[in-house]
Amino acid sequence: MILLSYATAVIIFCIGLYTIMIRRNLFKTVLGLALMESAVLLIIVSSGYIPGGVPPIAPFSGPAVNPLPHAFTLTAIVIGASDIALALAFIVKLHRHYRTVDLDRIRGLRG
Amino acid sequence: MTLVLAIMVPLLSAFLVPLFHLARKTLSVGLIGIMGLASISAALAAAHTGWYSPAVSLLGGWAPDIGIALVGDRLSSAFLLMTAIGSGAALACALEKFGGGPWRFYALFFLMLGSMNGILLTGDLFNLFVFYEIFSVAAYLMVAFSMSWQALEAGLKYLVLGTIGALFILLGTAFTFMATGVLNMALLAEALASIPRETLTAISACLVLGLTIKTGAFPVHFWLPDAHSSAQTAVSALLSGVLIKVSIYALMRVCYIFFLGTNGAVFLAITVIGSFSVLGGHLMALRQDDIKRLLAYSTVAQIGYILIGIGCASAAGAAAAVFHAFNHMLMKMGLFITAGNLSEEKGTREICGLTGLWKSHPLWVSAFAVLSASIVGIPPLNGFMSKWFIILSSAGAGTVIPALVIAAGTVISAAYYLRVLSAFISPDEGSSDDLPPSVPRKPRRRSVSFAIVGSFALLCLVLGVMPFSPIFREYFSSIGQTAVDVEAYVGLVTGR
Amino acid sequence: MSIKPYIFRIASLILCVSLGLMLFRGIAALPVTEKVTGPASHYLARTAGETGARNVVGAILFDYRAFDTLGESTVIFTAVCGIAMLFSRRKFHRSSRGLSFIAKRGIGIMVPFLLMYASVIILFGHLSPGGGFQGGTIFATVTVLLCVVFGSSFESQYFPPRTKDILESGGALLFSGIGLIGLAAGTGFLSNIAAGFPAGIFGSFLSAGSVPILNVAVGMKVGAGLSTIFYSMIKMLDAGHDHREGGGIE
Repeated sequence: MILLSYATAVIIFCIGLYTIMIRRNLFKTVLGLALMESAVLLIIVSSGYIPGGVPPIAPFSGPAVNPLPHAFTLTAIVIGASDIALALAFIVKLHRHYRTVDLDRIRGLRG
Repeated sequence: MTLVLAIMVPLLSAFLVPLFHLARKTLSVGLIGIMGLASISAALAAAHTGWYSPAVSLLGGWAPDIGIALVGDRLSSAFLLMTAIGSGAALACALEKFGGGPWRFYALFFLMLGSMNGILLTGDLFNLFVFYEIFSVAAYLMVAFSMSWQALEAGLKYLVLGTIGALFILLGTAFTFMATGVLNMALLAEALASIPRETLTAISACLVLGLTIKTGAFPVHFWLPDAHSSAQTAVSALLSGVLIKVSIYALMRVCYIFFLGTNGAVFLAITVIGSFSVLGGHLMALRQDDIKRLLAYSTVAQIGYILIGIGCASAAGAAAAVFHAFNHMLMKMGLFITAGNLSEEKGTREICGLTGLWKSHPLWVSAFAVLSASIVGIPPLNGFMSKWFIILSSAGAGTVIPALVIAAGTVISAAYYLRVLSAFISPDEGSSDDLPPSVPRKPRRRSVSFAIVGSFALLCLVLGVMPFSPIFREYFSSIGQTAVDVEAYVGLVTGR
Repeated sequence: MSIKPYIFRIASLILCVSLGLMLFRGIAALPVTEKVTGPASHYLARTAGETGARNVVGAILFDYRAFDTLGESTVIFTAVCGIAMLFSRRKFHRSSRGLSFIAKRGIGIMVPFLLMYASVIILFGHLSPGGGFQGGTIFATVTVLLCVVFGSSFESQYFPPRTKDILESGGALLFSGIGLIGLAAGTGFLSNIAAGFPAGIFGSFLSAGSVPILNVAVGMKVGAGLSTIFYSMIKMLDAGHDHREGGGIE
């Protein structure tokens, strides 16, 4: 049932957001970002579902699913992966300076 | 055609920069200057097209509901002019300071310029998201460019918050697509009137939240002071002056086209957020000791003014917001460049350490005085004019509290800018006696930066007087009218 | 024991739960879709005629909405430029010697098939599921495997960083160049059949105009880019600890 897929995605989104808000470890922050991104992609892909649909490769043997969400998902996956790769690169560089990834200690900038 | 070129010329320059670097190790200043001039003239050509003959460019020749459309109208051309001036100034300052050495910096700069023009010209919601992401990734990297630990930490904070905002925008786009099936902004303006109420609430919450996170308004502004203060001088000026304005444009477009007729609560929310930003920004700026952080918090407050103008949901409010955005770009870029150069000369960024500058750099300090007077809102200067227009438009919308907030903000900002100026003027504490006499302190010649700062200060004076001329007022009110005229936008794109 | 972090946690929990409820109500209010409407039905009905490609998703990505794809590959370009900048000051000191003999021989047998698989996915992107992004990622995976199994110095001998830089910029310029051909022909930036690219016989390898060329361009860009990201980071980890800090100016 398609509504279950949407509900799961929304729950994962909120778990990701909660993880980022109460973060202590920088890696968990990045994991929260990845969770949020996966949840949004799951919502996008689920929106294209047609009951009894076939993949959108011509010629079709039945009603085809909506191809537009697939295109959006491909684009969004790449963009999300670039963001997360950049976040991890920042964390690796920060670790070399601070020798820790605990956010409470990496609070040089205050106020 | 000019619309596409405004986007593609900077992107092509950015793609060519690594190849030039492989051919010869350091790029010449002239080469970067030529590419910069080409990009800026392409942007100005698109601005000219948008102003005099609003155009739609259908990419690939497909109809607007099938493909992607680029739209250039008066609002886009006003912001294109802003970004052209601002990025030209920042590029000149960066070239003067770094030379042709850091080629990756210039590649990122051109990518940012191309994506800014992309955001300003696109007519498609998903395309807006894609270009917004290019722009944001380039911004995160330019903040972290100096690679000191503060810059890295600021860059990471900016990245996390910016990505959260981007994911909210993507979620809003996904909901919009699920509800209507189209993604062209003009067609959405018609389709959004007939979707269920709860979905419209979810869409507006996601889009507004995502866009205000990227703008740096009060509850989610945490990245802004760190990012703008930890970056290099030219990058801080670019961030505060130009990047924020592009985010404001995206917010204006989305809110006016989608929510003007359908969901009026959005504008009330924006006014509230704006008022909180004004108070929060000014109060936090009062507590700062570091001059660049003070200027960054001042940016948060100025964004609040612009948001109050947008929240009025009227043509006058939109025009006032655009005018204030333009003024703020001039003022804040000048202030950041001055503050950056003066703190480099003195070697410190603490306000109490920046003493005795009136004797050594009188021209810089007087430019700073003019710019800070106009950002506080002293009468004949342009800051006062734009704040006055915002107060008028919010009174016209029927609310009184934003006007009180703006007045209170003016008083507080006068307090902290006076503090900075008095530190500049006060006599030197004698710190330069510590240096041995064999090391003379020669002031660095920064003539290009000074020319830019001086011309911005002059423009502030000129723009303070220009609203008295009816031609100028007519121009700006036409920008405001174009912003709120949804039927004209839809008619332009669909050809009806 | 301070109460402040617990208040913050409870407040965030309430915020996230209410956000989730609002989002779910927004989704649940939409009617269930029985058939495809709007632009999507246009794509499904007319892709074969208008673009000559069998893969409708590929046609959307590289013909109808090719500008989005240009933007997305520019995001990768920016991220790669930035990560290379962040790790640019580490010189190569030593590389690991790789894994055992069995792993090296096994991967040596598999690599040609992996490369062929990646090429097929890129080149047949207009006929079957796949395309430039997917194939480019597999190319990058091959280089990552070589780094892990044989050591990074071996991998940089076969795929030197200069080549990757050239491939990446080359892919970007190829994409933009095809777009500009369309602009010069007067039919709009990034137009396909209308600009004169041959549509070919439907279902054959040489069909769909510029879509296979754009697939190759994006494959080059993504493959070289992801490979550069991995190589920059592994180069730093291999080089050992180094306490020099400084500006990022090369």
